[in-house]
Amino acid sequence: MTQQAPAWAASPRHLASRPVSTRPASPVPVPHEVCIHPGPALLEGVADGPSLAAHRKRYGDLPTTRLPHLLQLVRGAGLRGRGGAAFPFATKLETASKRRRPVVVVNLSEGEPASAKDSALALSRPHLVLDGATAAAQALGSREVHLVVTGERPLVRQSMERALEERAGDVAVRLHTAAPRFVAGQARAVIELLSGRPNLPVTAWSPEAIEGLRGRPTLLSNAETWAHVGLLVLRGEGAYRRHGTETEPGTALLSLTTPGEEPHVLEVPYGTRLREVLPEAAHGLPALVGGFHGSWATWPTLANARISVPHLAALGTPLGAGVLLVPDAETCPVELTSRIVAFLAGQSAGRCGPCHNGLPALAAAVHDVATGRGGAERAGQLAELVRGRGACAHPDGTVRLVRSLLGTLPHEVAEHVSGGCAHLRAAVAS
Amino acid sequence: MSRRLRVDWPSCQARGLCHELLPELVELDEWGYPIVGGEVTEELVADARAAVRACPRLALRLV
Repeated sequence: MTQQAPAWAASPRHLASRPVSTRPASPVPVPHEVCIHPGPALLEGVADGPSLAAHRKRYGDLPTTRLPHLLQLVRGAGLRGRGGAAFPFATKLETASKRRRPVVVVNLSEGEPASAKDSALALSRPHLVLDGATAAAQALGSREVHLVVTGERPLVRQSMERALEERAGDVAVRLHTAAPRFVAGQARAVIELLSGRPNLPVTAWSPEAIEGLRGRPTLLSNAETWAHVGLLVLRGEGAYRRHGTETEPGTALLSLTTPGEEPHVLEVPYGTRLREVLPEAAHGLPALVGGFHGSWATWPTLANARISVPHLAALGTPLGAGVLLVPDAETCPVELTSRIVAFLAGQSAGRCGPCHNGLPALAAAVHDVATGRGGAERAGQLAELVRGRGACAHPDGTVRLVRSLLGTLPHEVAEHVSGGCAHLRAAVAS
Repeated sequence: MSRRLRVDWPSCQARGLCHELLPELVELDEWGYPIVGGEVTEELVADARAAVRACPRLALRLV
């Protein structure tokens, strides 16, 4: 195991114009503590602790897995990536297996402050994640496995370091530290980091599974995805299918975050009703599904929705990486969105013109909406202008958030435009 | 086979030559960055190639 100096320490030229200190802070700080609830599969018996001994006692030794068997397992379970895009993992695995010497990457960078599910896995089930990556590396004949954590979450890093030490002699895993930036965990940005270049997104001319690190096929997945792979290899498809629905087997991790409180990480079977997951205090209120790059949903939508990738996508509120941001009754969703958009604008790498110029303009327009100065029309126009014009999905995700505010909560937006929002009046009075 | 123009966004520095050479498909936004239209038709392929070649940042590709 070796450690690299963080690539962002080099302070590339294009970042000089926007110093770290002037970037707006996240309205939801990166959590120091995570409340992990025991779950039915990945988080079963988390009280055992994260040690290798406890892990082996519960799951047994990792069997040697050949590629056809692994493909059959992940295809049978319908496993989708848990980093946000929900891409079928079997397709990615098969693509990566077609060219020589694939590279395996575990993405544990969790750049979204409102997300805590990967942290929860690192703190409670690090060996399930590492077993998944190890099984894939063996099946693919990979000589390289990379693990990317973030410097913003030191306990996560420590837990993974400890886990790697316990597995000494196993497949060699190299540990890397991502930059403390929202876009640093994006797949191409991670590959840039591993290549020794600044940890920022670049244009992908082909998928990573075809051409990734040093031109090699690269199987890069989120930590939760790897934990599901680990579980499938250790327990088999039958056990995996005991949870979830016929068409969507298994479980999903959710980060339930209320600004100002420590996040809760829950594991729920697919098909679970959202109203059973959301705290009683949130009933009746809108929530942000999918986190900072997500979409607002009103309570009537939330009350009838189920945790399901296609179902939530069809409702216009994709699950993304499983964040449910639940503001309390005191928090105005328009104001919160304005602060999130300001944060996201500051998190742009500043490399792509439309994002570098468009997101601050969008943030200004949304701020105008939130402070009762109009701006809704301008925000809508900018959102249309910026979408799809960047090396990564950062502008698209930010646009999704703004459009969902304008489209889903028009009443709250209109109240702000007329200066009638109760939250706004309180802010002006104080 | 349908062809499109793709911008390598981190490379693009809003020099605007693509718009000069191919106004049929490339508009510029309020900051001077290209807004690329739809499919490159047969009649426009030659002009599209010229725009790709002329980009001083090598930020335009026909894919």
